[in-house]
Amino acid sequence: MAKVEEYKLFPGCTIGNRIPFIEASARKVFDKLGIKTSDAAFACCPDPVGFNSVDHTSWLAMGARNLTLAEAEGKDIVSLCNGCFQTLKLVNTELNHNEHEKEKINKILKGVGKEFKGSINVKHFVEVLHDNGLDKIKEFVTHDFSGLKVACHTGCHYNRPSEIVQTDDPMEPVKLRELVAATGATPIDYAEEMLCCGSGVGNAEEAPSMQLLANKFSSAVKAGADVFVVICPACFQQMDTNQKKAGTQSNNEFNIPILYLTELIALSFGMVPDELGLKFHRARLTEFLEKNGLK
Amino acid sequence: MVMIDYELKKRVMDAHIHDALKYCYQCNRCTDVCPVADLAPNRYNPRNLILNSFLGLRENIFGGDDSFNIWGCTMCDTCDEICPQKIELTGVFTILKNMSIALGEGPEYYTIQASAIYDSGKAIPPQPAIERRREQLGLPKVETPNLEEVKTILNETKLNKIINK
Repeated sequence: MAKVEEYKLFPGCTIGNRIPFIEASARKVFDKLGIKTSDAAFACCPDPVGFNSVDHTSWLAMGARNLTLAEAEGKDIVSLCNGCFQTLKLVNTELNHNEHEKEKINKILKGVGKEFKGSINVKHFVEVLHDNGLDKIKEFVTHDFSGLKVACHTGCHYNRPSEIVQTDDPMEPVKLRELVAATGATPIDYAEEMLCCGSGVGNAEEAPSMQLLANKFSSAVKAGADVFVVICPACFQQMDTNQKKAGTQSNNEFNIPILYLTELIALSFGMVPDELGLKFHRARLTEFLEKNGLK
Repeated sequence: MVMIDYELKKRVMDAHIHDALKYCYQCNRCTDVCPVADLAPNRYNPRNLILNSFLGLRENIFGGDDSFNIWGCTMCDTCDEICPQKIELTGVFTILKNMSIALGEGPEYYTIQASAIYDSGKAIPPQPAIERRREQLGLPKVETPNLEEVKTILNETKLNKIINK
């Protein structure tokens, strides 16, 4: 695998072109921790839920094209998004283990002067932060988050299918919890920790999507969560934007801030809400910031 | 009379090395853990979908009034993890979804997104308001992917035909 100690950063379409404040927190946290990244003209990963469901071959070919851009520089990819991570990891693995598919895809890529070699690795940012060391994070923590109860939500595509992605336990992941604990906050147990946010089924129909979200939120509220911490922009959007609707449809009223892991870490490092663009969250953070002495 | 579609059978069987699919003994663990089957048991049932797939019972899968029997899958990959026979159910469901799209039976969302990727290389194309926000946050410009390459690839895979571009 690639040896160069710099990653190609893969923010993905949702973060880059819709909720860029998440990218801001990630870049700041990486900088502070000495994790080096550079950019590339990546196209859509493409979406493992959407585009792969439309045409698997097109998904493989587009994913492989993205991988060739990182291969050309001999650098591994770090993804800020569960979906992009899963796509790039799955495509990389499928083509590396299936000569027939690889040949087929390379025939397509030849038309644009590219060839998939399978020479780099793809990582989720949670893996990179965890491998970089929990102590490194603790070193920079200046804000006291003790007593903050965090409901961790990894989302589905970070740790499954486990045989391929090999990031964490498929049903009881620990790395996100450990990273949250490193900031001084307290990860709590809640019954529906592993439940999907419902974003996927929402592409087909709203009601079941909102019901899944409501079940997840009810469970976290019952366990006394102050905030959710997430690591996927699709989950973030579903939980941040749709919590009101999910509440209405299930006779509940939810008002829980959704923080990206890198936002929580950035705040724990003493960075201020303004530089992180926290005002762009839909579920207001005012109360959370006041309670935690951040405003 | 029940019609068996051997092409469908072959496609789903081929997706698995060593034909793992034929070892499905319908234990129902997939449906037990499926969050959508839990909410809508009469409309989405992964065990049933797998059974109909490997038996090639096309009419039980496609052409119904409600395509939720396929598209209810929220892609959480939980069934893949739980299956005692190591069947990659989500891989089979992707084949069914691809076929459903080709038949014009998929939810609109999917073809709209594919169309955006075909046109702009991105599922979410750049927008001026967000570009300004990136600037405010001190973020670099998003580099534009080579759209010629994207189109060449997606014409070669015939995506343009699938989504009528």
